[in-house]
Amino acid sequence: MLYYLLLPFLSILLVVTQTTIADIIFSGRLVIEISLIAVVYAGFRLDLTRGSIFSFILGFVFDCIAGSVMGLFTLIYVIIFLCSFIASFFMDAAKMYLVALFCFFCALLEEIMVMLFYTLVLKFDILASVFFVFLPQALVVGLFAPPFFYLMYRAEVFFYGKPFQRTERNGNDRISAEI
Amino acid sequence: MFFLRNYKSVIFVIFLLILALVLLSYNVKHDTGGGYFKKIVLEAAAPQQNVLSISTKSVSDAWQRYILLVGLEEKNKNLNKKIDELEANLILYKEGYLEAQRLSKLLNLRNNLNYQFISALVVAREQASLSKTILINKGSVDGLKIGMPVIAPPGLIGRLIDVSWHVSKVLLLVDENSNVAAMLQRTRLQGIIRGAGFRGGILKYIIKNQDVKEGDIIISSGMGGVFPKGLLIGKVSDVEKPDNDLFFKINVAPFADFSQLEEVLILASEEKKSK
Repeated sequence: MLYYLLLPFLSILLVVTQTTIADIIFSGRLVIEISLIAVVYAGFRLDLTRGSIFSFILGFVFDCIAGSVMGLFTLIYVIIFLCSFIASFFMDAAKMYLVALFCFFCALLEEIMVMLFYTLVLKFDILASVFFVFLPQALVVGLFAPPFFYLMYRAEVFFYGKPFQRTERNGNDRISAEI
Repeated sequence: MFFLRNYKSVIFVIFLLILALVLLSYNVKHDTGGGYFKKIVLEAAAPQQNVLSISTKSVSDAWQRYILLVGLEEKNKNLNKKIDELEANLILYKEGYLEAQRLSKLLNLRNNLNYQFISALVVAREQASLSKTILINKGSVDGLKIGMPVIAPPGLIGRLIDVSWHVSKVLLLVDENSNVAAMLQRTRLQGIIRGAGFRGGILKYIIKNQDVKEGDIIISSGMGGVFPKGLLIGKVSDVEKPDNDLFFKINVAPFADFSQLEEVLILASEEKKSK
């Protein structure tokens, strides 16, 4: 229960922090989407229910704070979570280069969806941003993903004494959302 | 299969996806701006944003200040160095300016008197209390001879008493041993000025019934042939009329400031320059 209570506040903190850091480092030109890496991480580590709620709330908070069309990133984050969740059955999250590559592709997927939405639904021409914004942003996500995964791994060891492992992969019972 | 085993979870995820799609579609169609949920999120985000902004701003400010201070230290060092250099230059220029002024006065004097002069620098002063002499850096090699008058703006200051090859000694007017034939410019009364040390000089042999006033200008009379006529010496500073004496006791304040002599001119010949 505590997880669900804290989740909105932690999501807000994460999104606020990432936008502030992006403002300092890139002067607002790029966003370091730690939230996206967190969603990918959730896909690798959490169960379906807990991870999808996490992605939904994080996406919703991102929509609210980033000022995009409400529901866009909510939908995208849930989709990316599902992709990561499925990929986690075929990929080893311990291999950092795979993590970086996968996060890069997830970021590209996210941006393709954003681009398609803006082009098809809102009729905005944002193709020019592909090389100057989307690709660098995907690269940044790819670069930041391995340290993020490593830090989270260390945090899990610190809190649980061993790396947190999803029960579905062990064949045990599902991990409860309750902490 | 995992998805079948977790049927509830899959339904829940599908529900979330549909919810997100509905939210998106609704917002695209109606553009409500997010409603209350968005407002709540923004309200919750604002304090965190403020705290983060303040923290990063303070770190950024501290860093900027540090960078500024590092720059300031270097700049301060450079500026201090520059100030030292400029002060040294200023002293040099000031010295040059004062020298130019003195030399200009000397030149004026030289032109006015129309004699041949040899210029010399004062290299030392006699420190004895009674003796008032100076050393100059010219000697017999330069054509100086004993007895030659020495002048400095605005007039006579003494005569040469010792001449070596490259150095000469000048007996100043204020020396107790100095006697110069002089006269009062206004009344043309003639006498002799004897040096009186720190008191300047005393004009002797002016009879008591003559007209002498304080402030009267005294010039060289040219008698005796040592000093040319008309060189400024000083002015009457005090006139006393002793009861049991035939002459006035006239104190004279020399025009020249003997403590600040740096350059002097030696009257080499009384012949007029050929122009």
